[in-house]
Amino acid sequence: MSFNDQDAALIADALDGSARAWERLVKRYEGQVYNFSLRLTGNSSDALDLMQEVFIGVYRNLHRFRGDSKFSTWLFRIAHNKAVDMSRRKPSFMPISSLGGAEQSEEEVLEHYTDESVQENPQAMLSEIQHNAQIMAVLGCLSWEQRLIIELKVFQSSTFDEIAEMQDISANTAKTRFYTALKLLKKQMEHSHDLS
Amino acid sequence: MTCHETANIVSAYFDESSSAQERKAAQLHLDSCSACSAALADSQAVGAHLRQWQDEAVPQWQRIPEQLHSKRRVQKPRFSFWGQWAPLAAAFMLALAVMFNVQVDLNSDGFSVAFGQSGGMSPDAVAAQLAQFEQAQRQAQAQTLQALSASIEERQVNSNARLLETVIEQLGDSTSRSIEQVMAYFEAQRQEDLQLMEASYQRLVDSDFQTVQSMQQLANYVQYQGGSLQ
Repeated sequence: MSFNDQDAALIADALDGSARAWERLVKRYEGQVYNFSLRLTGNSSDALDLMQEVFIGVYRNLHRFRGDSKFSTWLFRIAHNKAVDMSRRKPSFMPISSLGGAEQSEEEVLEHYTDESVQENPQAMLSEIQHNAQIMAVLGCLSWEQRLIIELKVFQSSTFDEIAEMQDISANTAKTRFYTALKLLKKQMEHSHDLS
Repeated sequence: MTCHETANIVSAYFDESSSAQERKAAQLHLDSCSACSAALADSQAVGAHLRQWQDEAVPQWQRIPEQLHSKRRVQKPRFSFWGQWAPLAAAFMLALAVMFNVQVDLNSDGFSVAFGQSGGMSPDAVAAQLAQFEQAQRQAQAQTLQALSASIEERQVNSNARLLETVIEQLGDSTSRSIEQVMAYFEAQRQEDLQLMEASYQRLVDSDFQTVQSMQQLANYVQYQGGSLQ
């Protein structure tokens, strides 16, 4: 059974009311959605909120998924819309100045993580988180629209046509925004390098 | 140095959906455009830096929405509110009917509901039975009073006679006038005692009569309640 077929089977069972099937479906994608949310929001608390909203949206609209596209594509379309909703609802969402978990204390960074891997090797996990924090700090120079395009193109491998459809813009506009965002990131990386 | 094609060239490099023809055209442009080549190198560096992201573990969270929890725990009710409570209400009414021995009588006037062993008697029959009971009680009490009065009178007469004999023996030479005075005094005492005794019995009879009246009122109340259910 292919990955998509497994998704389809889990979706069918979840629609029949199987909590177990729904949980398995969520576990297949929650890592991607959480890290997507973390890169966009810059902190684990807002990332959790966004991830929960995404999966609630997926649950409520699951009966509308026809299988015309991959489930992951459909899911990240919802994730994109939820991120846009959240950025409009929370004016302080993704503030550039406060982005970057590197400014958090070790305890603050680790307090949200309770899984066994953290318990076994907290230093490795902390190093990983701080490395990611540097990336989030660089992303912090972008507007949320630019960050969404970078996220969808670099991390989700969406096509420009898909991005254009999600953001209701032309594919050429999406390409221009993408390149503009890359230039800003380059500058920010040089600035960070100079500071370090 | 700038090139108006840079955005498209860089985007094409990042776009995996680009066709082979598009890639070949982009490569041809890059071979001849240093601006786009430099921009592409910078963009690749940025992309490489971003891709160093290491996926973080998902913190504990509630994966199953409340709606799905509710769906699992609570089955949708098959009946409406009244549909759910109707069997319980029916069972309660049946228990009450058994407890109070409710009897439903269907006749030409409709139906009547009665409680207890007297169920089925009409109000008139109850009143007639109570009247008979009252009459019998009164007769029995009058006979008892008459017999008791006669007994007491006889015992008092005997007692008075023995007292008189004793007094005569003690006095000896008492005159007939003195005896008559004593007899008159005793007779007056006897009459007074009889009146007091009769008054006491009358109060007793009246008390019984009040009891009967209370029963009558209770019967009327029960008839009223029974009638309101009809």
